[in-house]
Amino acid sequence: MKEQRTSVAAQATHLRELTAFLQEFWSSASLPPAECLAFELALEEIFMNVVMHGSAGADVPQVDVSLALTPAGLTLTVEDDGPGFDPLSLPPPDVTASVADRPVGGLGVFLVRTMMDTVSYARIAGRNQLRMSKRLEG
Amino acid sequence: MNLRIEAMGEITHVMPEGRLDFDAAPAFQQAFERLFRGAGPAPAAVIIDGAALEYVSSAGLRAVLLAAKAAQRSGTAFALCALQPSVREVFELSGFSQIMPIHPDLETARIQVRAPKK
Repeated sequence: MKEQRTSVAAQATHLRELTAFLQEFWSSASLPPAECLAFELALEEIFMNVVMHGSAGADVPQVDVSLALTPAGLTLTVEDDGPGFDPLSLPPPDVTASVADRPVGGLGVFLVRTMMDTVSYARIAGRNQLRMSKRLEG
Repeated sequence: MNLRIEAMGEITHVMPEGRLDFDAAPAFQQAFERLFRGAGPAPAAVIIDGAALEYVSSAGLRAVLLAAKAAQRSGTAFALCALQPSVREVFELSGFSQIMPIHPDLETARIQVRAPKK
C-alpha cells in the first residue's frame, strides 16, 4: 500500500499544487495515464466545492487530501474543517436539457459520482470527509 | 491553458491547449465574449478543436456551454471536434454530446457546420 497526504488552505489558488500532488503520485506509482483525469476531476470538483462553501464561515478552512493505493484501487480522501456540507445531497442535474435550457451549474458532483466507483460523505468530529474510490484498469 | 483563435474564411477555429479547468475557464469565456460582442460581425461558424485539450472539469464545461449559448443567440453554427478520449468521456457523461455537435475530426466539422440546417 502506498499512501501520501498533503494539506492546503481552502483557496482557489491552491488548486494547481493539489493537481501537481496528484500527478506526482500518479507517475511515481506508474499508474495508467488514461485513468488520471477522473481523479484530477474529482479533486478539482470537491476542492472547489470546499472553497465555495467554506467561504461562508469566518475562517478559511484547512483541506487535507490523501491518496491511498491498494490492490483494490485508489482512494482519494478530501477532508476539511469548514461548515458542514454534504455535496452528495445536491440534486442531480438534468443532463438532457437543450443548450438554451441547460443550467450552467451543478455538474461537478454529478461527474464525480459517475466517474468514481464509490463516493461517500461523513461528518466526523466537526470535519467534512469525502472519500472517493475507483478500481484502476490496465 | 493556451488559446489560439484563427479566423479561416467565415469559420473561426478555437484551439485550447492544455487544461480547461477552474483556472482557465474565465479566459476561455472572455475570448468567446470578444468573439460574439466584438466590433465586427459574429462569425458564421465556430469550431472548438480539442486535439490539444488534455483535461476538462465542470468549470470548463460551463465555459463551453456559455459559448454554445452565445453562438446560438448570434445565429452562429457551433461544433467541437477531435476531442481526446478522456475529455470526450466527460462531454458524454455530462450529456453535452447530446446537445452540441462533436465531430471526430476538423475536416468533418468544417463540412458539417457549412451544411444547411435541417
